[in-house]
Amino acid sequence: MMKRYDLIVIGAGPAGLSAAIQAAKNGVKVAVFDENKSPGGQLFKQIHKFFGSKEHKAKVRGFRIGQELLKEAEQTGVMVHLNAIVMGLYNNKEIMVNENDQTNHYKADSIIIATGARENMIPFEGWTLPGVMGAGAAQTMMNLHGVKPGSKVLMVGSGNVGLVVSYQLLQAGVEVVAIIDAAPRVGGYGVHASKVTRTGVPLYLSHTIVKAEGTETVSGAVIAQVNSSFQKIEGTEKHLDVDTICIAVGLSPMSKLLKMAGCKMEEAAGDIPGVDENNQTSLEGVFIAGDVAKIEEASSAMITGRISGISAGRYLGYIDDEVAGNDISKLKNSLAQLHKGMFSPENKGRIDIEETDEGYKTSESLLKKGYIDDNEILSFPGVPKKKVVGIHPVIECVQNIPCNPCQDACKNGCIKVGEIITKLPAVDPDMNCIGCGLCVALCPGQAIFLVDDDYSDDYATVTLPYEFLPYPKAGTKGIALSREGKRVCEAEVLYCRTNTAMDHTALLTIKVPKEMSMKARFFTAKEAL
Amino acid sequence: MRIDKHPVLEEFEKGEVVEFTFDGKNMFGYEGEPIVAALQASGVKVHRHTTKTGEPRGVFCAIGRCTDCVMVVNGKPNVRTCVTPLEKGMQIETQYGIGTKE
Amino acid sequence: MNKYMDRNRSLGEFVHGEDDDIIICRCEEITKGEIRRAVHEGMMTMTEVKRYLRAGMGLCQGNTCGKLIKGIIARELEISASQIEECTARGPARPVEINVLGNEVESNE
Repeated sequence: MMKRYDLIVIGAGPAGLSAAIQAAKNGVKVAVFDENKSPGGQLFKQIHKFFGSKEHKAKVRGFRIGQELLKEAEQTGVMVHLNAIVMGLYNNKEIMVNENDQTNHYKADSIIIATGARENMIPFEGWTLPGVMGAGAAQTMMNLHGVKPGSKVLMVGSGNVGLVVSYQLLQAGVEVVAIIDAAPRVGGYGVHASKVTRTGVPLYLSHTIVKAEGTETVSGAVIAQVNSSFQKIEGTEKHLDVDTICIAVGLSPMSKLLKMAGCKMEEAAGDIPGVDENNQTSLEGVFIAGDVAKIEEASSAMITGRISGISAGRYLGYIDDEVAGNDISKLKNSLAQLHKGMFSPENKGRIDIEETDEGYKTSESLLKKGYIDDNEILSFPGVPKKKVVGIHPVIECVQNIPCNPCQDACKNGCIKVGEIITKLPAVDPDMNCIGCGLCVALCPGQAIFLVDDDYSDDYATVTLPYEFLPYPKAGTKGIALSREGKRVCEAEVLYCRTNTAMDHTALLTIKVPKEMSMKARFFTAKEAL
Repeated sequence: MRIDKHPVLEEFEKGEVVEFTFDGKNMFGYEGEPIVAALQASGVKVHRHTTKTGEPRGVFCAIGRCTDCVMVVNGKPNVRTCVTPLEKGMQIETQYGIGTKE
Repeated sequence: MNKYMDRNRSLGEFVHGEDDDIIICRCEEITKGEIRRAVHEGMMTMTEVKRYLRAGMGLCQGNTCGKLIKGIIARELEISASQIEECTARGPARPVEINVLGNEVESNE
């Protein structure tokens, strides 16, 4: 007798675990198979705070969401087979698994495929040299294994992965020499770009990598400018002194098992499976969840996972139609909130968006240079236009990102996003800010600063989010950097504070000359720059 | 190359310090961490030389997909060092083609 | 007949490209030039290129190069990559030692 389950889930990442949990909650006998030695997929290397609203676990760091998921899986009795490499999936819902050097077969009445995605690559001269790696590889090495992937890194790709991994490299104490992208605009969220740019990392858009130099390992890189048809412009080559090159040029679904089982793909030759509104593939009882269907953030993967878990439960007869329908529509509403705004799936690749949903002109500088220009900043609703007496927040969040923790963070109601979470946060000009700084610490985009122009006759204070070690001590003198990462003035640390609620985002308060309070956005104790 | 203290993760949970050999040289790493982590921490980046052109390769995907980081471990070739936990006394060798250097 | 499968279509003379020496299939060490040349020699599908050159047939099973090879064939044939059929998906989806595949267990309980 072959071992049977009601439901087999392939992949114990955020999507697969969510699917399994949701099915198990409804009494389905479910087993999850994963090739890794521990569950969680790529969630445990996501150490940044997630976007969204409370129901999407916004402002919680990815790995903590992973810990919560594992706990929930345990509580609901989900069984996870680890070190279990699924080698085959057949259309009779049978899987072939390599476990402990033994080939086992299992069968289920329903299957959910949550195998995730793989990193895309671009080939260039020298790309096989040790030291050239996927951005995900660098992230795995530093955030899971505590080892630096190199000491001087060139990041190729300015999408969210490239930007987030660059920031995490800085956190790990690695120098990011440059971020390049062949596109003329930053691919990822402006807030992700800004938090790297203000530390002084240069961003080269319309640039490609020409080659990795070195014989045994990478000893340098050559980049060059490209024209509008992405062709290298001769004579623009530039040498960079790096020992590591990270590639972050997108992800593709790992849908081989789906194809093996005979699921129809959206395009005959593509790798994206065709699914119905309940995440069922062309094969009855075979569902998908997460990135294997559509590349998105982990927050979305967890929701599609839950939808598939319910769909499978209904298919198996454990959940009645009406209950399943209601639950699915609730989850779809939650997903829809994440799918609004300029970064929504239907806007993917669009470069002609000139206004935010509310009608504010988009920041050109943010897209073309990775930071908001001084002359654009005042036009956004998070930045007070008139003089505010005393300490107050300045919210430099100017794109329609699905996110609202700032609104919940302020107990005095100074910050308003509203029902639609992609709306830009607005500050109340007659606010009663007490300077608690929770909004600064809880903003996943690190786009909020506290400014106090009335600190003294000559000086103002700026409080900024700080996630680097060591924390500068009170009295430390150094340099304030602009949004662009350039020196603006001398600055002195007044204090650096943090607490449990802030979860490792410290509030660094610096003293700067009054006229610099809207320019100083980062601090370095180093003299250089 | 190790991260001593991390601003978000603080410290990394590691196993016992164990000794292993890399091409006959004694090295130390933490038991249970992927072989690649121990090697990288000791400054080893070249894991193998390819069959056809003999060019060097190292870690590329770090999650067991690309197979670029394979080495000869305890005499067995093609072991993915990014997903194989380090054990005490492991003999790790640079892979040349599909075996060790003759 | 669509352009993709028109095997009588002339692709013109093979012209060596400056990036032809770049390795595309990292496992089997197959270069861009070799793949381009294979197309000129009549290998117009992913499967044909794979069998002709072993590109995508190595340890990683085309995990890294699959998409790249598709792009190269498409450019050479001057068609869109979405028209190029992928290789047949078959098990094992991950590399496995033959003794493991042979060590098949009938009963799991």
